[in-house]
Amino acid sequence: MLAFVLRRVMQSVVVLFVMSLVVFSMINLVGDPVDMLVNPESLPEEIDRVRRDFGLDQPVHVQYWKFLLGAISGDLGKSFIFGRPALALMAERFPATLELATSALVISVTVGLPLGVYAGLRPDGWGTRIIMGGSVLGISVPTFWLGLMMIIVFSVVLGWLPVSGRGETARFLGIESSAFTLDGLRHLVLPATNLALFKIAMVIRLARAGTVEVMALDFIRFARAKGLAPRRIVLAHLMPNILIPIVTVLGIEFGTLIAFATVTESIFAWPGLGKLVIDAIVNLDRPIVVAYLLFVVTLFLVLNLVVDIIYALLDPRVRLQGDET
Amino acid sequence: MTRTDLLSIQGLRTEFPTPDGPLAAVNGVDLEIARGDVLGIVGESGSGKTVLGLSIMGLVDRPGRVAAGRIAFDGTDVTAFSEAQWQGLRGNRVAMIFQDPTTSLNPVQRIGTQMIEAIQAHRDISSGAARQIVREAMVRVGINSPDERLAAYPHQFSGGMRQRVVIAIALLNEPDLIIADEPTTALDVTVQSQILRDMRRLCRDSGSALIWISHDLGVVAQIANRVAVMYAGRIVEQGATMELLKSPSHPYTAGLMASMPANSPRGQRLISIPGGLPQLSNMPKGCSFAPRCTRATEACEVLPDLSFISRGHGVRCVFPLHVGASLAERN
Ligand SMILES: Nc1ncnc2c1ncn2[C@@H]1O[C@H](COP(=O)(O)OP(=O)(O)O)[C@@H](O)[C@H]1O
Ligand code: SF4
Ligand SMILES: [Mg+2]
Repeated sequence: MLAFVLRRVMQSVVVLFVMSLVVFSMINLVGDPVDMLVNPESLPEEIDRVRRDFGLDQPVHVQYWKFLLGAISGDLGKSFIFGRPALALMAERFPATLELATSALVISVTVGLPLGVYAGLRPDGWGTRIIMGGSVLGISVPTFWLGLMMIIVFSVVLGWLPVSGRGETARFLGIESSAFTLDGLRHLVLPATNLALFKIAMVIRLARAGTVEVMALDFIRFARAKGLAPRRIVLAHLMPNILIPIVTVLGIEFGTLIAFATVTESIFAWPGLGKLVIDAIVNLDRPIVVAYLLFVVTLFLVLNLVVDIIYALLDPRVRLQGDET
Repeated sequence: MTRTDLLSIQGLRTEFPTPDGPLAAVNGVDLEIARGDVLGIVGESGSGKTVLGLSIMGLVDRPGRVAAGRIAFDGTDVTAFSEAQWQGLRGNRVAMIFQDPTTSLNPVQRIGTQMIEAIQAHRDISSGAARQIVREAMVRVGINSPDERLAAYPHQFSGGMRQRVVIAIALLNEPDLIIADEPTTALDVTVQSQILRDMRRLCRDSGSALIWISHDLGVVAQIANRVAVMYAGRIVEQGATMELLKSPSHPYTAGLMASMPANSPRGQRLISIPGGLPQLSNMPKGCSFAPRCTRATEACEVLPDLSFISRGHGVRCVFPLHVGASLAERN
C-alpha cells in the first residue's frame, strides 16, 4: 500500500513539473504584459525599467528557472497588477469557489439521485421520459447560456433573486460562508444551480443505470419475498449498493466543479478563483494564471490519488495487487 | 377439492410476452397442497419450476404475468391481489428460498439487519424483541454464537451458512407454506443432505407446508410425501411419492428414474433421456414430450388429458406405463 502511494506521489510530481513547463511556455506566447502595465505614451526608458523590474527582460529559460526555484520554496511569484503574492490572492478567493462547488455538489446529489432512482424503477413511465429528456438537455446545453437564461428569468423578469455577487456571509462552526445568511443564500442559489446542472444530469444517469442493474439482482427478489415495503427495499437495499460507485465518481468530479466554476463565476460575478483567473488572463497577469493552472492540476492529481487509495482500501483485489508490486 | 387445501391452483398459466406473441412458461398447472404437506416438484432445468414458484409468490419478473388460472391460498384467490396485499402475504404466510445462497443476501447489509427487517415488516415489535427471535432462529438452523454472526456481512459466511441464514429468514414468521427452489443445488453433497434433514424437521416443528423444487428426483424422494413431475410448463404426472416411485406411469418419469444414480448398475454410465426440452416458441402440437418419447404415435399429437391410474395418482399420457384397471375402465 505504502509503495503504491509513494509511486503515485512520484508520478504526480513528474506530471506537475511537465505541466509547469507547458504552462510557462504557452503563457509567453500570449502577448507582452508590459503593454498592460505602463501607459502606452511612456518613454522607452520607462518601459525598459518596468520590464527589468518584473524580470521580463531575461530569456525565457532564465525566467522559468527562477520561477522553478521560487515554486520549490512555495513562492509562485507576485501578481503584476496587485503586487501581492499569487498564492495569497488565491487563498483569499478560494473559500468562495469552494462554497460554490460544494453547494453545486450537494444540489446535484439531492436532485439527481431521487430522479435517477425513480427513472430506474420505472423504465417505461412518462415521468422517466421527462427526466431523461431533461438530463440530455442538461448535458448538451452550454452552461454559460443556461446561466444567462437563469439570470434573465429569475433576476431580471421575475426579480426573485439578485443578479450577481456573493452577498452577506456569516461564520458558523469556524466556517465563513454565505450559506448561513438569507441574503447569502439568495445570492448562492442561481450560480450553484447553474454549476450543478451538468452534474445533476450525470448523477441521474449513474443512479438510473445503477438502479436498473441492482433491482435485477437476486437479493432484491429475496427482499421482496420477505414482504418488505418498496420504500424499505429502495432505502435499505438499493441505495447502499448504488451509492458506492456514485460517490467515487463524484469525488473525481469535484475537481471539474472547481475548474468549471470559472465560467459560472464570470457570469454571476462570483468573487472566487475563477473570476480572479479570468481577470488575470484579460490583464496578462502571468503569475496568477500560472499559479491557478498549476493549482488545478495539483487538485486533480490529489483527488485522483485519494480516490484510488479509497478504492484500494475497499476492494481487496486491488489491495492485494498493490502489495505484490 | 372436498378437503380444505392450504393452496389450490387451477389452470395456472404464466406468460412472458415476446415480439412473436406470449410464451407460456407455466401452462395449465393444477396443484393442491394441504397443511403440513411436503410436495416435491421435479423436472429438468427450464421446465418452469421456478416460474411456478414465483407465480405463487406474485413475484414473476415483468413483463411476465399470470395470464390465466386461479391460485387460492387458504381459500382466497390471490391472483387479483394488490401490491399491499401481496406484501402482507409474502414472507409472512408464504416464504420462498432461492437457489443461489451466495446472491440471496444483500452484500452491504449486516446479517442481523436483514433478518430483523423480515420480522418487523409483518409485526409491530421492538428491535430488541425481534433480535431475540432472530437469535433463536439462528440456533434452530444450526448457527452457533448467533450474536457474533448477526453483526457479520454475507461474504464472511460460507455458502452452506448463507443458505442456513436464508432458511432461518424464511422460517422467522412461521409461514403456512415455504417454497424452496433448489436450495441445495449450489452446495456440496454433505451440506446438502444435512440441510435436507434440517428442513424436514423444521417444517414439521412449525407445521409449515413445503414445496421442494428440484431437478433431482432422488433428492425429492427423500423429503416429499407427494411428487409432481413437470415438463415444459405442464405437470405430466403426480402422486404419492411411494406410489410414483413404485409405478412411474409417464415415460418421462420413468426416464428420470432410470437416470437416478441409485438405479444404474455399478460402473456403468448413467442412462439419460436423449434430447432436450422443446423451445417454448416451438412446442409440439400435442404431448410436448413426444419428440423424445419411444412410445409416441400419431395419437400423441392431441394433448393428453390428465387421467388417474389410481386414487391421487394422475398422469398426462396416452399410453402410460403400469396401466392399472382404472385406465381399462376408462376405455
Ligand atoms: N424473466 C423471464 N423472461 C423470459 N422468459 C423467462 C423468464 N424467466 C423464465 N423464463 C422462461 O421460462 C421457462 C421456465 O424457466 P424456469 O422456471 O426458470 O425453469 P426451471 O426453474 O424449471 O429451471 C424457460 O424457458 C425460461 O427461459
Ligand atoms: S402421450 Fe405419447 S408421446 Fe406423450 S409421453 Fe405419452 S406416449 Fe409419449
Ligand atoms: Mg429454476
